[in-house]
Amino acid sequence: MGGRLRAVWPPVLIAIVFLAAWQILVVVQDIQPYLLPSPTLIATNFFRDLGLMWGATSYTGLTALLGLLFGTMLAIVAALLAQRFIVVNNLVTPLAAGLAAVPIIALTPLLNNMFNITSRTPRVLVTVIIVFFPMFVNVTRGLVQVQPVQLELMRSMNANPRTVLRVLRVPNAIPFFFTGLKIAAPLAVIAALVAEYFGGPQEGLGSRITSAAANTAYGRAWAYVAASIILGLLFYLTVLALEKWTTPWAGHRARP
Amino acid sequence: MSTPTTTETAVRAAGIWKVFNQGLTNEVTALQDIDLTVGQGEFVSLIGPSGCGKSTLLRVIADLTDATRGEMEVAGMSAAKAREEQRYGIAFQSAALFDWRTVRRNVELPLELQGWDRAKRHERAMELLEMVQLADFADHRPWELSGGMQQRVAIARSLAVDPPLLLMDEPFGALDEMTRERMQNELLRIREETGKSIIFVTHSIPEAVYLSDRVVVMSPRPGRITDIVDVDLGVRNEDTREAEVFFEGVTAVREALRGRGGGTLRARVGEV
Repeated sequence: MGGRLRAVWPPVLIAIVFLAAWQILVVVQDIQPYLLPSPTLIATNFFRDLGLMWGATSYTGLTALLGLLFGTMLAIVAALLAQRFIVVNNLVTPLAAGLAAVPIIALTPLLNNMFNITSRTPRVLVTVIIVFFPMFVNVTRGLVQVQPVQLELMRSMNANPRTVLRVLRVPNAIPFFFTGLKIAAPLAVIAALVAEYFGGPQEGLGSRITSAAANTAYGRAWAYVAASIILGLLFYLTVLALEKWTTPWAGHRARP
Repeated sequence: MSTPTTTETAVRAAGIWKVFNQGLTNEVTALQDIDLTVGQGEFVSLIGPSGCGKSTLLRVIADLTDATRGEMEVAGMSAAKAREEQRYGIAFQSAALFDWRTVRRNVELPLELQGWDRAKRHERAMELLEMVQLADFADHRPWELSGGMQQRVAIARSLAVDPPLLLMDEPFGALDEMTRERMQNELLRIREETGKSIIFVTHSIPEAVYLSDRVVVMSPRPGRITDIVDVDLGVRNEDTREAEVFFEGVTAVREALRGRGGGTLRARVGEV
């Protein structure tokens, strides 16, 4: 317990020092809010408009969550096929790498035209595409990178490929799955948010930041940014907690 | 019944060849014309420098790889059939335990694949963990165990389906000397209790002599059997390691490895 506390307080302390320095800088230098609002101004806006914050955060959060879920499911199916059929692997891997290179900004207006711009669909699709690559790469690696000696052991026990998948490959891939998810979850939030910059429903964090900034409500714009940070952290920490809970062996390796 | 001498054979290899990259410029003859018979209940070590094909021979016996030519019979059937029917258990240099399973569930794995029900496989696993003196660690995870303990779990797992034959590929190779000697005694005790035939790959001369009824000496390029040394140490205990007859065995195997053959002990040169 004492150890955990000792791990927590240095970053907290740094955050406090950072915020205090920021506040002092803004006050002493008399920096205008359109350049940089003070932490207290942002906090005031945040807590005054708590209802708005929650609404925008839950809208973008749902987009990110849906994209994360569908993207992950798609990646798992593709990874299972890739480990089973080398042909699929050779087809999908460059495709996935190609998808990773697609700039989300270039894609969003087109998806908005292809699908109903007034719906959430194009945003979820953008998020799915962003999530797919890190999940596919990591899950495939986990399914394929099993110790050769463990494969020999399975063969000595006369296990068929399906049994090897169930007993060895899938459990082996779980820590890799979480490595992917730790990358994909914050990315999903960013994707869902950025996708809102290109029109469509105005409920989300991305839309709110743009409109608040356009209305010179800089304190509110920054309060939405703070809400975005909280949302991203929430996604990341949830994944961390899930990982700890489901894979107590992660980070451990039995010595040979 | 320390060394049961029945006429039944555990393994019979006749004219086994294993050639890698056949027909290519980097062709390697890993095994050349291997003849070897291991009797039921016998403890046979395969020893030789790296590249002599001892591990390859073990893998052919285990049907983890095919022989290029020749006939391999395990437990009176083809090696492939013996593997399918689980007539051998195997332990490697790496314990190859599954990190996501508890110690007990690692031992249960072969039983699970054979469709044993939960209660029976639980009972059997505990019995085996009792034998390797790890019953207290049944619910631990593999990484919480020392290297020697992990290897004992691997041995328990290899005995799970009660196969008549145990194949071991340098199982103590990664352990420190103290642990290693303790594991050797442990293995002899398990053998005493179970009466298994054991084929044991090692590159340690004292280990081979201490454990075996016969030491099969191999040499590389091409991998072949150059000598077979009979060892008769009687009942082994800690004094055995310092006994005259033990050192004679070590000398005999060492000379066989150097290619002089015909050691001071009852070494028999050539084929058996």
